[in-house]
Amino acid sequence: MMSSAPKISGRARMTIALATGSVLALTGCSVANTGTSSGTDSDTVRIVLPIEPTTLEPCDATLSSTGVVVRSNITEPLIERDPTSGDLEPLLATSWEQTSDTEWTFTLREDVTFQDGTAFNAEAAAFAIDRAVNSDLGCDVEGQMFGDADVALEVVDDTTLKITTEAPDPVLPLRISFIEIGAPTDASAKVREPIGTGPYAIGQWDAGSKLTLNVNENYWGDAPAFKTAEYQWRSEGTVRAAMVTRGEADLALSLSADDGAGDLGLNYPNNETVALRFSGDIAPLDDIRVREAINYAIDRTGITDSLYAGASVPADQLVPPGVVGYNDSLKPWEFDLAKAKDLVAAAKADGVPVDEKITIVARADQFPKIAQMTEVLQEQLGQAGLNIEVKIAETSVGLQYQVRPFVLDEGAIAMIVQHGNQAGDASFSTDSYMTSQAQMSMFGSPEFDALLADAATKTGDDRQVAFADALAYERDNLVQFAYIARMSGVIGKSAAVNYEPNSLSGDELRLAEITPAS
Amino acid sequence: MLTFLRRRIVSSALPLLVVVLGVFALARLTGNPASLYLPLNATAEMRANFTAKYGFDDPLLVQMAHYFGGVLRLDFGESLRTGESAAAMALRAFPATLQLAGTTMLLAVVLAVIVGSWAALKPNGIADRISSFVSMAAASVPDFWLAIMGIWVFAITLGWVPTSGVGGATSWILPIATLLLRPFGVLVQIVRGAMVTSLSEPYIKLARSKGASEFRVVTRHALRNAAAPALTVAGDLTVSLVNGAVVVESIFGWPGIGKLMIDSILQRDFAVLQAAVLLTAVSIFILNILIDLGYAGLDARVRPAGRRKKSSRAVSAVAAEPKERKIHVQTTP
Repeated sequence: MMSSAPKISGRARMTIALATGSVLALTGCSVANTGTSSGTDSDTVRIVLPIEPTTLEPCDATLSSTGVVVRSNITEPLIERDPTSGDLEPLLATSWEQTSDTEWTFTLREDVTFQDGTAFNAEAAAFAIDRAVNSDLGCDVEGQMFGDADVALEVVDDTTLKITTEAPDPVLPLRISFIEIGAPTDASAKVREPIGTGPYAIGQWDAGSKLTLNVNENYWGDAPAFKTAEYQWRSEGTVRAAMVTRGEADLALSLSADDGAGDLGLNYPNNETVALRFSGDIAPLDDIRVREAINYAIDRTGITDSLYAGASVPADQLVPPGVVGYNDSLKPWEFDLAKAKDLVAAAKADGVPVDEKITIVARADQFPKIAQMTEVLQEQLGQAGLNIEVKIAETSVGLQYQVRPFVLDEGAIAMIVQHGNQAGDASFSTDSYMTSQAQMSMFGSPEFDALLADAATKTGDDRQVAFADALAYERDNLVQFAYIARMSGVIGKSAAVNYEPNSLSGDELRLAEITPAS
Repeated sequence: MLTFLRRRIVSSALPLLVVVLGVFALARLTGNPASLYLPLNATAEMRANFTAKYGFDDPLLVQMAHYFGGVLRLDFGESLRTGESAAAMALRAFPATLQLAGTTMLLAVVLAVIVGSWAALKPNGIADRISSFVSMAAASVPDFWLAIMGIWVFAITLGWVPTSGVGGATSWILPIATLLLRPFGVLVQIVRGAMVTSLSEPYIKLARSKGASEFRVVTRHALRNAAAPALTVAGDLTVSLVNGAVVVESIFGWPGIGKLMIDSILQRDFAVLQAAVLLTAVSIFILNILIDLGYAGLDARVRPAGRRKKSSRAVSAVAAEPKERKIHVQTTP
């Protein structure tokens, strides 16, 4: 008798086959913990973001990933800034005035309710501002707009709120425009899903998959065109662009020109300026001639034309046009390699160690083609006779070079920074990048600090002139930076919707401005 | 069985501990994550408050003790990014990766068995050459490129499938196809090799001489012996898939644990990273046990001693310890 293979009974085989088929069929229906698919719906606008918001906490709405969903959609500020004109316009506050050097009085809009039905009033506004600015929550808006300064809040009546600053602050309304007003909640903890007064409320958030906002039927203002907004996220720009071209999304943010959106990609000025920031107290960058030489050695037009197909333009200063303090008499440094070489030679003749390495540090993927830009800069500065090395670091490491306390034991550093002034006032740029003790400034001067401090006390045209003069002073006497390019963004827009991107679109995508194409 | 499980649990506890300790220490060696979670122009006081709040200024051993104390209470900490429970985030993401990896491996095994068996039946034939080509391609083509090409060709150009996302059955096609190539390429060669060996065994000749069909010879006799090594390799590949699906998850927006881990690494979200690593390590441990059990089920020679049943389910009984089994050959019809 031959021993044969042990048999699986026919019933067992059938069971196994059925189980396998069931697994396949069941798993083919849905992915675990992702909810149901909404499909295509003419009342839904579909937006694809580069990353999922980590939170929708209103006081962190100055973070792009949060603000692009929250700002003016779920929550609203007292004052809104027009991205085109830069003017401050009433929103939850109907008017405001400076009633003393340090005091501002805001008149609030009546008959506004939060999405849970509670009334919006001065007390709620005071709570939100106090929580964002004065608490220990560590709100992003506090760090970005207020720093260490606190504000005092006085509720006069339901529609009147007084805000007092520690020192005269002519741009307090501008700072207030960045505070999103959420319904009163726990003052000691951040909320992930807020309740606001905006035209949309949070419908469902399938973490990792999709976020849905539903229209606020009790919104005090004009109803938006779409009843639902659906956000998804894809880290790859090519995939985001593909979703628009394929009709799976109506808008795709943070694209680059090479992502394949084609005619569906819209260029827009995003207020971002790319520059090389110098460690001006470390040789050889401690010599102004070397910093000037770097400026002369950079072919800015070549960079913007070759890397960005002309969508970006050479930059002349840290702030873009339209920002208070922008100096329209400043032009980009001209490309003059011969002059750059002469300056390096002159510095060398005076004993400046120009042969010591200068490291260009860049944060990986901070903006499109940053790696290529870094290589071009290395080549161009090398032609001027400088010893250039390159270091491209991931974000966490890059920030160690960008923000205090800096990395100071690796020699001279020229860091590629991208700065966006969304606030519309030069003080927000100079306070971060230019004063001697600014968190992202590696050097300055007492004279420059004094100019900036004086400019910050002024208002109106005087403020404009003072900051413009200060920026010219930096250019002529300090050379803290080599300004490279004024960047533009690309948004993918399907033919199914109408939307005109603006300088705020990457940080604040107002759903009410998106309408169905006729 | 229980003894076997007990021994495996005990022997796996130390490696699990080493993995978690290693991730804990290495993650913190990258520095204070404050700069990632505070505004760029946050003041020194804000940074100090953040550091103190999360204990990043404590000595490493103190942080470790605090963490493991929490683990004993099943508290794996909170995400720095979202404030959610790290364990909840990991548990929420893991099933999606398991679904993807499990379905991919199931298909890879089935296809590899079919193609590998076909290739083994006719060495150097067309099927054999195709399988060799696929294996080589699988080893050479990066997942990233394959994913993007798949989107460009099948989603954008042909419009057959969605570009990405998790809505509907068709959204599974591109992610699975992208992940499938490498394990399929490896398995088909394993199955082919094992089948060639099995098909040359005397019992196969005997089966043929008794008039068994080729299909029966392959499926009922040869394949059973070839299954064991394929199972082992499939298990290893499944582990690789669970860990390595991060590229596919990122490109296709698949909310799995691979993407969660890479985001946690980049954002220095230590608690979530540790929870995800621990969960993945435990699942690999369970998977390895299942592989061992499956292997024992297929091959009586590797069952724990004293537990062998009289009737072996493995065809390799013919080639098993001759001192335990006697071969009886029927010489008359």
